[in-house]
Amino acid sequence: MKLLQCPINGIRPLSEFTYGGEYRDMPDPDTCTDKEWAAYVHYRNGAPGLKKEWWYHGPSGTWFIAERDTMTDKVSRTYIAGQEEKQ
Amino acid sequence: MSSRIAKKRGEWINRDKPLTFEYEGQQVQGYEGDTISSALWANGVKVLGRSFKYHRARGILSFANHDVNALMTDGEDTNIRADVWPVSNGMKLEAVNTDGGVIKDKNKYIDYLSPFLPVGFYYKTFYKPKRMFPFWEDKIRKAAGLGKVNFNYPRHIKPKRYAHCDVLIIGAGASGLSAALEAAEQGFSVILVDENRQIGGSLTYDLAGDPAATDTLSTLQAAVESQANIRVIIDAYAGGYYGDNLVPIVEKSGITKVRAQTVIVAAGVFEQPPVFRYNDLPGVMLGSAAQRLVHRYAVKPFNKGVVVTANDHGYRTALDLASVGVEVVAVIDMRRDGAAQDITQKVKDKGIAVHKGSCIYEAVAAGDKLGVKEVVVCPYDETTAEADTSRSVRLACDGVAMSAGWAPAAALLYQAGTKMRYDDSIQQFVPAQLPESVFAAGKVNGVFELKARMQDGRRAAAEAMNYMGKVVAVDSVKQSLSSSPSHPYPIVNHPKGKNFVDFDEDIQVKDFINAAKEGFDNIELMKRFTTVGMGPSQGKHSNMNAIRILARIRQLPVEKIGTTTARPFFHPTPIGHLGGRGFHPHRYTAMHQWHVDNGGEMFEAGIWMRPGFYTPAGVKLSAADAVQQEALAVREKVGMIDGSTLGKIEVFGPDAAAFLERFYTGKFAGQKVGESRIAMLLDEAGVMLDDGIAVRMADDQFYVSTNSSNAATVYREMQRNVQLWKMQVTLVNLTGAMAAMTVAGPASRSVVEQLTDIDVSAAAMPDGAFRTGKVAGVDARLMRVSFVSDLAFEIHVPYKAGLHVWNAVMEAGKAFGIRPFGTDAQRLLRLEMGHHLISHDTDGLTNPFEAHSDSLVAMDKPFFIGQRSLKILAKKPLNKKLTTFVLDQGFNGELPNECNLVIDSANNISGRVTSISYSRYLNRHIGFAFVPPEQTNDGARFQIRTDSGAMVSATACNAPFFHLLES
Amino acid sequence: MQDAVLMSPVAFAHALKKPVSGDVNGMQTALSFADADVEATRSKTLSICDVSNLNRFGVKGPQAADWLKAAGIKLPETTNSWTSQENGSLVMRLGNTEFLLEDKPENQLAKTLSDTAVEQSGVHKVLRNDAAFIVSGELTPALFSEVCAIDLDNGSLEDNRLVMTVIAGVSATLLKQTLNGQSVYRIWCDGTFGPYLWKALLGIIEEQGGGPVGFNFYYNA
Repeated sequence: MKLLQCPINGIRPLSEFTYGGEYRDMPDPDTCTDKEWAAYVHYRNGAPGLKKEWWYHGPSGTWFIAERDTMTDKVSRTYIAGQEEKQ
Repeated sequence: MSSRIAKKRGEWINRDKPLTFEYEGQQVQGYEGDTISSALWANGVKVLGRSFKYHRARGILSFANHDVNALMTDGEDTNIRADVWPVSNGMKLEAVNTDGGVIKDKNKYIDYLSPFLPVGFYYKTFYKPKRMFPFWEDKIRKAAGLGKVNFNYPRHIKPKRYAHCDVLIIGAGASGLSAALEAAEQGFSVILVDENRQIGGSLTYDLAGDPAATDTLSTLQAAVESQANIRVIIDAYAGGYYGDNLVPIVEKSGITKVRAQTVIVAAGVFEQPPVFRYNDLPGVMLGSAAQRLVHRYAVKPFNKGVVVTANDHGYRTALDLASVGVEVVAVIDMRRDGAAQDITQKVKDKGIAVHKGSCIYEAVAAGDKLGVKEVVVCPYDETTAEADTSRSVRLACDGVAMSAGWAPAAALLYQAGTKMRYDDSIQQFVPAQLPESVFAAGKVNGVFELKARMQDGRRAAAEAMNYMGKVVAVDSVKQSLSSSPSHPYPIVNHPKGKNFVDFDEDIQVKDFINAAKEGFDNIELMKRFTTVGMGPSQGKHSNMNAIRILARIRQLPVEKIGTTTARPFFHPTPIGHLGGRGFHPHRYTAMHQWHVDNGGEMFEAGIWMRPGFYTPAGVKLSAADAVQQEALAVREKVGMIDGSTLGKIEVFGPDAAAFLERFYTGKFAGQKVGESRIAMLLDEAGVMLDDGIAVRMADDQFYVSTNSSNAATVYREMQRNVQLWKMQVTLVNLTGAMAAMTVAGPASRSVVEQLTDIDVSAAAMPDGAFRTGKVAGVDARLMRVSFVSDLAFEIHVPYKAGLHVWNAVMEAGKAFGIRPFGTDAQRLLRLEMGHHLISHDTDGLTNPFEAHSDSLVAMDKPFFIGQRSLKILAKKPLNKKLTTFVLDQGFNGELPNECNLVIDSANNISGRVTSISYSRYLNRHIGFAFVPPEQTNDGARFQIRTDSGAMVSATACNAPFFHLLES
Repeated sequence: MQDAVLMSPVAFAHALKKPVSGDVNGMQTALSFADADVEATRSKTLSICDVSNLNRFGVKGPQAADWLKAAGIKLPETTNSWTSQENGSLVMRLGNTEFLLEDKPENQLAKTLSDTAVEQSGVHKVLRNDAAFIVSGELTPALFSEVCAIDLDNGSLEDNRLVMTVIAGVSATLLKQTLNGQSVYRIWCDGTFGPYLWKALLGIIEEQGGGPVGFNFYYNA
């Protein structure tokens, strides 16, 4: 079982975490076209590479972002959303 | 006839503790510390089992936990590996895979049929005619598999433990021990694992007649024992490698999952047999097996034997055999050039003849095929793998020790992602590129010479420490080998075959040639067609030779053939170990014991334990009757359900209302304190996820409920969006902190008003109203709800007081005929009311427009989750809609089930049933179904196809259904 | 047994062991499971005690720390750490803006705070329903090695740190403290998981030769 670093609670086994999907910037719903919105909701890019992902540490209730290379399965850094500069 | 020799230094048996056991009805003497095989061998018992396919007699081969033809049963356990399993007093053993005993096995005739059973025989023969297959399947199933499962096997809970260390070392041989000492001396915590019952690896048996190795071992052993940083786990194997250095260590008592910062694989090598005709007879064994018998168990492998070898190790074996008085007739060296001068001389000095460039063309069985009587030795051509039979010599002997080379025990390295390369100078796969925290040392790393192995262990430890941030010097390791430890092609062709490559599955050289001819000439295909490496030893003694044979057939270098991947667990592990002690958490409400005491039929509702219905003690009641009676009580009098499982979330803060407006579909900004509103949650695609009730308790405080099954996910999504939207909101999950119960039915007000200081009159507390106050003396939150009944009160109190309040309500309700009701009645009651259940009546694609929930969606808000998608959906026509329906009065045909399809006049699928139930109160069958939108109008008729194919007419009908009683 | 208004979330689980029960803080509590010397032996070997009845006070919100300080409470400096007040009450910092206080039976700090009305925005009381356990004994490492995947021997619980992790499949808060001169582990989890966790831990504890001890073993109520 892999390990993952929670920015608050440190390194824990993956079983303490829940995956929350890829972090993707939402297009402005007021200005985007229907097509752009549908692409945002339904399309996922499966190509390997560096992805930002939502992860949730269950015991402490902490959401954070993990930057993971889906090719190598290596997580380069984790941080609370909006606080990447503090890390 | 005992083959036990005089007490030896370092032997593993305790001669002060003799013991007796039974093998195939025969009494056998052994000592504590003996394995089954060693004790039997010491008593002259050499037929330890029958082979899987041809039922050939087999003895000791590896004597290293891979003798899969010597599998025994003691009546309780099966497939006990005799080569390593310790004997105990009174155990009664029989070989598996025999019919009528290991000597008289009635299935041994199959060996004579073997010419008619070529590779792929079963695949090609029995698949047609098809009608005959069940007959053959029965026969083959009886023949296939080893041992019989004991269905009365007692349940022993095997704990699964976690352990942590800086350095995990797999293999406690010379390199592993050296690595452990190096790391421990620098203060790192070490776990050292070895599958044997004593540490030392080859130092415990590979002496070449010279006790110096024993001294080296004693020194290492003492040093390791005095190191507090080293935890030694013996009699255990590392079962696999998992991400981030998690390695399960399997002991007899259970599995320990070791999480290590670094892993050093010093697992050594498996000895590989040379391949010649009848290399499987009892008495023919690997050189290292003979050495282990001699030095660990003080047992002579045979009295008069020969050594056949394709490397220098055979010479070492010969010296070990000679040192305990075995008459070694000759060393037969398959190499044209033989061994180094010094070791050759040592062997010759013992009076042992050395035949270079020779092979055993075949071993000759004693009359009953239960042993060896002589070997046929011929000159051997290494390049063609052919023996020159014109110049054969027969040597009488009762045993053969064979050495041809080694295969790395690299399963964990492969699993960790190591790239291996084939080193031509030692004819072995070795690590080329290791993962950054995994290291290899010793023979598995291609280092064979003893001193170099010890250096290599220290080198690997130094690299591991550098990885962990401790800067230490890393000394490079050099070894000077006079010849390759492994032979590139130790195969002797024989026109009559029976030159076994795989002893698990009785696969001969010609099987590979035939497989290649049929086109299965890729290692993965060949493995599956021939089944090489698919037996219990998983190719530990056969894969390397198989690769060599395939390489030669295809005229490719060995490296180009590649290896198959040994997945975890790399050694058979009992299911009981893998299962271990299971942890299956359940949540219990405060009223749990009351439900149990009052006949509640508890079931797992997700993670919660809930009563489906109640059958009080002494009452004879079918489940269906219980449910109908509970529902009737609610319709006619009063009932109460434990609703503690509802999700309960408090939303605080200046942005609380604004947050809910973004999160849910409805409007909350203008909601008055003390009022409740439906809170429906969508996903970004506009699909309905959850519906609950949001109560405003203060300007900056809401109390929100969710469906029982969604409590955790809704709370989690709220947390994520607070972070994402950067809102000033504090969330508190009160799901487990509050007990909840719903008192429902016409008499519910009369019951509740006795217990509370809150004015619950219709005027003061209309539907949807929320109040706080005391109920049964406890701080409570009280809400008028109408999910199961027009008149109902939901009471929320702190969990610890839940049972107290529940009891008080039951007591107050007695006079009104109160009944507890379970989740089954609740389902029926809400159906009568016409309330759909999200993710029961809706699915992962249902949007609010399809479920009559338009009124809950405030499209004029600036934003809510799913709104943008709904704007797109709103432009499109609906093709299905949820409707309530009723079956005809007096319907008594085959009742449709949930998920039965709605069929239109053109016989096409046009919808499906999502809920259906009989209501005794209405005396009708009612339900929910998805149908085309035009069929949702009151009175529209549609057809449902039942499981058997019968068509049932249904009529769309407005809900609540109570108007049916008026007509 | 229905005299007390409040029930320990674990009550029905330990009813199987037929403890001597009594009322502590208004809650039905298992006071003892066996003779004092038997319980003393268990506590040295491996034992579990239900202390869910201790008064607790939870508070959360951006102003929670300031509000507690204003009430004269000494706070742990960092997230995931704890401190004890002079009167012995524990203060745990569960997050930057979340705190849990727990009284000993003889003091009423958490109780007083619970009864205090909060008038300040950014301070939100959290209703608690913890199943709370004390685990003690020399075989504790063997117990945790079965139920907890993380390394508790590497100092993760030293220096008043607390750990939020998964124990036997349940989210829990864990810390190590000295109680009556004995080093013990404290575990809190959601009360609805309490009966399950009690049974899961007790099963292993009994296998290891330990057993349950009553509330009176640690606190003379």
